[in-house]
Amino acid sequence: MTTAVATRAPLTRQLRSELRWIVRRPRTVIGLGLLCVVPILAGVGLWFAVDNTQGPAGPGLAAIIAGNGLVLPIFTLFLSLPLLLPLVGAIWAADGLAGEANNGTLRGLLVAPVGRIRLLGIKAFGIAVMSLFAVTLMAVVGIITGVALFGMDGMLTVSGTTLSTGAALGRIVLTILLVTFQMWAVAAVALAISACTEHPLVVMAATMAGLIVFAVLGAFSSLDWLQPYLITSAWNGLTDVMRDPMPTGELWNSTGLAACYLVIGLSLATIRLVTKDG
Amino acid sequence: MTTSTSARVESASAGSTPVLAARTRGLRKTYGSTVAVDRVDLDLPEGAVLGMLGPNGSGKTTTIRMLLGLVRPTEGTVELLGRALPDGAAASLPHVGALVEGPGFHPFLSGRENLRRVAAFEPLLATGSVKQAVEDAVERVGLAQAAHRRYRGYSLGMKQRLGLAAALLVPRKLIVLDEPTNGLDPAGTREVRKVIGDLHAAGSTVLVSSHLLSEIEATCTHVAVLHRGTVVAQGELAELLHSDSTALQVTTSDVDSALTALRAARISARPSTEGVRVELIGTTAPAVFQTLVQAGVEIHEAVRQRTGLEELFARLTEAEESDHLSAVDTNEGAR
Repeated sequence: MTTAVATRAPLTRQLRSELRWIVRRPRTVIGLGLLCVVPILAGVGLWFAVDNTQGPAGPGLAAIIAGNGLVLPIFTLFLSLPLLLPLVGAIWAADGLAGEANNGTLRGLLVAPVGRIRLLGIKAFGIAVMSLFAVTLMAVVGIITGVALFGMDGMLTVSGTTLSTGAALGRIVLTILLVTFQMWAVAAVALAISACTEHPLVVMAATMAGLIVFAVLGAFSSLDWLQPYLITSAWNGLTDVMRDPMPTGELWNSTGLAACYLVIGLSLATIRLVTKDG
Repeated sequence: MTTSTSARVESASAGSTPVLAARTRGLRKTYGSTVAVDRVDLDLPEGAVLGMLGPNGSGKTTTIRMLLGLVRPTEGTVELLGRALPDGAAASLPHVGALVEGPGFHPFLSGRENLRRVAAFEPLLATGSVKQAVEDAVERVGLAQAAHRRYRGYSLGMKQRLGLAAALLVPRKLIVLDEPTNGLDPAGTREVRKVIGDLHAAGSTVLVSSHLLSEIEATCTHVAVLHRGTVVAQGELAELLHSDSTALQVTTSDVDSALTALRAARISARPSTEGVRVELIGTTAPAVFQTLVQAGVEIHEAVRQRTGLEELFARLTEAEESDHLSAVDTNEGAR
């Protein structure tokens, strides 16, 4: 009767559609806008702290921060890594599967048909690209704010040495990549949760609660044996990018741990999605 | 009504095995201890408009979801456009358009943008023709004026139309419409009927579920009646409405083996007060007797009863006491 062969829509068209769909969502635009505000707020806060030499910061900080505007993007990214960036990633992961299921659009995609594993790949791609974009955007706003407020004269490391502007920019790019990868790891786990529910709010609440519980567990010295497995504890090691010469052990450690979370998250999401009722 | 001519053509060839657009065998789906669908053997002949009739919660949507590979059956098999699911889904689903469980779209996008997103994932649509396909579909369901508006602000009827448009983006071999006239005004209902008529005329197979009898009467060539998760009758609408379609009341003490034998022979039957009631759809009284006798079932008595679609539906889907109504209500069946 039918000589139909398996056909698929072109992958690039699907990926483009996914990205457009994420960007068109009002919450994405608002979220990205708020992320841009973070480095500006941090910069202005520092500027006031420096300006007011009678304040708690005192004149010492002024000397450190002067001409050192390139620290601001790195400072802001580490400031946002524990909560803000995972939150944004969790929102995208929540909308990606749970939100689509909630809207009734997931079954439309499955009937199109988009293969379930391919669908997960498209979703992961969308979140990955948007995460990289969000982190880069924050860094760029951080650079502009930092240079505008404090000037640019290389970068003072925590080891006391000063990096050239080029090397400093290199450190910023490295930070962007490291932070993005951590964001992917959290989002992958969030995506696995997203595959299990129809309620986007559950995904966000579960992800954030998980991060908070991890942070609390990391604070108990009696649970030291647990530390190597907590992604939140590994984040502290990322500040090594500010040292000179830069030790890479901790950076590899935390990146390796994030890779484990990424693989586990995507595997669980795959297992759930292929058997899920659409 | 007017669709009966084509239906009669098909009924002429009913003796030979018709090509089936979809076929389920022994379909069963349980959620925990709840049995949503049980022993559903559905035949959807190619080119037919099959009306799936049943009260709320009778398993229509669950059956459709299994037919589309959205839900994995607990037991049983589904064949869609000649391919077994789930392995054949990638090959058969591109030729299937569906509107299941109401329209699902993103509230923050306009109707047109929503369709573009759906179109981007349609395997049979070339990238260059996405725009035109979306415009055509929007035009076809009468949404051209509202296509630029956000889905959030759509009325129920407009949402339903957009769902229909998504199913019609590509020329399909099979269109599955779950309660397509939900929330539509009379004009919208007529338009949906016209769309179904056009699809039928163009040679597409249509599966439309409804709990509205008038809907099925107006648009369908075939009917399947579901009740409590199982198909209690299926066959051609023309046969049901115009021929001397009858039910057979068989009195027997051996109800269980009678039901088993009849269902094995794909004859619709259900238990009644003193035996089984057999619907003579696509079968004859002698065939029923033969089946029962071969299975060793004792037949005490067999009585023919006339039936019409509405009366048939009522009797199949309502409680046991409707047995008495059948004699009284026969006249109302001819609406």
